[in-house]
Amino acid sequence: MRRFKSQLPSAAAPRTFPYEQDGKNPMMDPDGGLLRGTLDLLILKALSWGPRHGYAVAEWIHGATDHTLLVEEGPLYTALHRLERKGWLEAEWGLSEKNRKAKYYQLSRSGRQQLRAEITSWERYAVAVSKAIAATT
Amino acid sequence: MRKIFKHEPAPGRIAGDVDDELAFHIQERTEKLIGQGMSPDAARTEALKQFGDMRDVRDSCVTLDRARASEVRRSRRFEELRQDLAYAWRSTRRNPGFALVVILTLALGIGANTAIFTLVDAVLLRKLPVREPDQLFAIGNPTSVGNVSVSDRQRADIMSYPQYRHIRDNARSFSGVLASGRGGRLDVYVGEPNGDPEHPSTRFVSGNYFSVLGVPAFIGRTFEDRDDREGQAPPIAVISHGYWTRRFASEPSAIGRIIRVQGQQLTIVGVTPPGFRGEIVGSSPELWLPITLQPVLNPYQPMLEDMQYQWFLLLARRNDGVTESQATAEMTTMLRNWIDEKTPPRGARSQVPEPVYLASGARGFSWVREEYRVPLFTLMAGVGLVLLMICANIANLLFARAIGRGREMGVRLSLGAGRARLVRQLLTESLLLALFATGTGLLVATWGSRILLLMAGNDDTPVPVDANLSLPVLGFTVLLTILALGLFGLAPALRTSRVDLASVMRAQSRSLASGLGGGPGRLLSGQLLITAQVALSLVLVLGAALLVRSLSRLQNTDTGLDRDRLLVVDVAAQQRGYMDERRDQLLRQVTERVTALTGVKAVSFSENGIFSGTESSTNFFVPGFTARDENDTTAYYDEVGPGYVEAIGGRLIEGRDISDRDVAGSVPVILVNQTMAQFYWPGRSAVGQTIRYHQVSLEVVGVLADTKDHALDSKPVRRFYLAYTQRAIEDPVALRVLVRATDDPALLGNPVAAEIRAIDPELRVRHEPLAVTIRESIAQERMMARLAGGFGVLALLLAAIGLYGLMTFATSRRTGEIGLRMALGAKRGDVVRMVLLEAFKLVGLGLVVGVPFAFAATRLLKNQLFDVPAGDPVSAIVAVAVLTGAAALAALIPALRASRVDPMTALRQE
Repeated sequence: MRRFKSQLPSAAAPRTFPYEQDGKNPMMDPDGGLLRGTLDLLILKALSWGPRHGYAVAEWIHGATDHTLLVEEGPLYTALHRLERKGWLEAEWGLSEKNRKAKYYQLSRSGRQQLRAEITSWERYAVAVSKAIAATT
Repeated sequence: MRKIFKHEPAPGRIAGDVDDELAFHIQERTEKLIGQGMSPDAARTEALKQFGDMRDVRDSCVTLDRARASEVRRSRRFEELRQDLAYAWRSTRRNPGFALVVILTLALGIGANTAIFTLVDAVLLRKLPVREPDQLFAIGNPTSVGNVSVSDRQRADIMSYPQYRHIRDNARSFSGVLASGRGGRLDVYVGEPNGDPEHPSTRFVSGNYFSVLGVPAFIGRTFEDRDDREGQAPPIAVISHGYWTRRFASEPSAIGRIIRVQGQQLTIVGVTPPGFRGEIVGSSPELWLPITLQPVLNPYQPMLEDMQYQWFLLLARRNDGVTESQATAEMTTMLRNWIDEKTPPRGARSQVPEPVYLASGARGFSWVREEYRVPLFTLMAGVGLVLLMICANIANLLFARAIGRGREMGVRLSLGAGRARLVRQLLTESLLLALFATGTGLLVATWGSRILLLMAGNDDTPVPVDANLSLPVLGFTVLLTILALGLFGLAPALRTSRVDLASVMRAQSRSLASGLGGGPGRLLSGQLLITAQVALSLVLVLGAALLVRSLSRLQNTDTGLDRDRLLVVDVAAQQRGYMDERRDQLLRQVTERVTALTGVKAVSFSENGIFSGTESSTNFFVPGFTARDENDTTAYYDEVGPGYVEAIGGRLIEGRDISDRDVAGSVPVILVNQTMAQFYWPGRSAVGQTIRYHQVSLEVVGVLADTKDHALDSKPVRRFYLAYTQRAIEDPVALRVLVRATDDPALLGNPVAAEIRAIDPELRVRHEPLAVTIRESIAQERMMARLAGGFGVLALLLAAIGLYGLMTFATSRRTGEIGLRMALGAKRGDVVRMVLLEAFKLVGLGLVVGVPFAFAATRLLKNQLFDVPAGDPVSAIVAVAVLTGAAALAALIPALRASRVDPMTALRQE
């Protein structure tokens, strides 16, 4: 049997967010029902074509996943701000297509590296899990 | 998409931004749902539902953004500091000469201040390195530390052994009371007893000395209570860590070693911890001996059970809960009662109660504290002024440098650097310089304070106080650096950063100065600095002039003695057991042999000698004189040999000298000085009058002119002189032979010593010309005058450099104008005069401000001046003249340079 070592980056380090400690809503999964780290990966991917505002990111995720993954949109913003703090995203205020003031995010240099690393590890993970569930013995 | 601004919200904007962002999302989503056919209300409700817990998301976004903002701020600040430091380092490296000048002068200033403060801390502020020093309570007069009083009269400033025992056993405020008394000069041999003995500094202490202080032994043991149980005199000694290191090479085997003290074998039982120097600040005992050993070591002068011998100071440890005022109350009563009970009721006892000396003992006893307080504060003020002047000079240099950096600053400002940032950066440069200066300054300080102690001490032995850097001293230095930085760094930094961009960017080098918010501005601040410097340096120069003049008055004061021809020879006759008849015999032999030496004009002897530091005083009764209080019947006295007045080079006003017929059994006689004669017998001849001491009547046979026997700055006091060999009121203890030479008395030292040893080879003899002793007696005054002179010269130099710099700058700005004047016919002399006049205007203004200030400041010196008033006009004239001369020299160089301007070249430059 092959040995497997999880390399999910954002799951690897335990995150402590103030609201988790506050215990305001301990039952609520912060990633809106997604597997931990998956949302980060999707956001990074959504921004890989250029700057987008939060709503556009949400729309992209809905469209790209056939509305299956993002149950609630709120946690998306928590994740955006968290990634900005980590330095993977940079934000700027700009004007939207309808000339409204909107906050645009784009990948930083380290964000781009992070995206590559997460894709690699996700693929390895997915392959491993698929292999495991396809096993017959 | 168009970028509007970089997203870097101010702290107050964070929550609003998050609200805006989320509102945008809801709005977009709602509009999309409406587009899909929903009613606006339903669409909005649906959008919110899809979003989830709005409040929770908002809160966590705000929290995250706040955390990020503070991280950004912190790292930016750090980055800026790093940049500033790197930049400061580069610009310092680029201009090493400037940096060196600033660092060295500032190091000098900071070092000098730290050095003096080290001494202030060591002498005035520091607490004893013992257990809980604040509990200690001092009983006795700190200036009596080295005294022995021999008197029936019981005192409260210094105590006898029976009095100490009484206090120790009966005082209820204290958990322990220790006694310590002068050890005196004891002959000590560490190895075999041959050759000259050594004389470590010694102190007799009670058995509980170390336990009351709470000082454990470093190795071995200290004394214990049982070590002075009555009737026992354990032959033991405790030595200091310093003595152990120096004399015993830090060998642990020193414990148990036998040393010989006054011929007695004592065992070393312990070594005190490093840093412990006893309870007396300004002395540093090397050998502690049990009090009970005193009669053993000095069998001819036992001072233990005899209440007449009062020689102890006491230090007590207060019981928990006993306040200082409670202890003071108890001790006051106890001391007064003791004096009332034990002083024999004879004569007119003073109605004024004996003063008691009770104080906190946290900082121990010290005579140097009183003696050095004012000089130290004077020095502190002096070095403070010097530092101010140094700061002014550095500020001037920085202003000058600002001219050269106007363009650099302009470029930086136009590239978007904030003014605050520029100021911060310039201050960082100053800070870097100040840090280097402080480091160097601390080195200067450690050397400086040692040199000061050496200068204040006698005979190449420094005053023994702990001059190591301590925490308060380091704190002081850091504070000083910050202060200096604020003084010299801030104003130039503010000014440098105030650049007029337009004119700088015109990039005409000649207009740079004006671009800097003004050549005139620079000149104005420069002129203010010079005026201040002149005023400050006047204070220092005047102070120096006063102290130097006072010293020369003091050195040349008439002592009434032939001071340059006298040799004082200390003979340890008592240690060899010379008493009574045997001593008379010895004295006759000594006088005979020494008189026979060539180069000897006269020989006599006395108990206390001259300028020996030992004096006697006593009470007596004067028939026909009504005393107002006890002081009226007190006078200093000495016991002197035949031909005393002739031998010291004194002047007899009336009557005769002591002669060799005044021996035991004949009518007891005395000489009195003029002050005493006039005090008791005004308008009458003193010769033939008598004073009475106990039952003895002493007849005045001669009056001599007042002499200064023990201090140059002393006022005339009443003195009388008993005949040594009559032993009329007590047996003299010490013996000092006084030899008056025809030539240099130093040449007689060895021959005289040889003659005395020829009589008894075991007699210990020390000799010193009186002039040397006198010079040492004014070591402190000499030190003050020398230091003040040094400060004065330094101040002159600083003011001159400042003026030179300013005038050079001012004339260089006026090259064109000067050229024009010369082209129009002005002579070189006119130009020189013009520049000098301008300089003198500044100096004059400084003097006008400085003179009243200087007089006010030097009034503080009043008590340190001998025979010179604080407002001495001669000193003031000298100070002003010296300062003006220095200023003229400083201004002359730029003036001459300006006068050599070639009119054509100058005009072409314009």
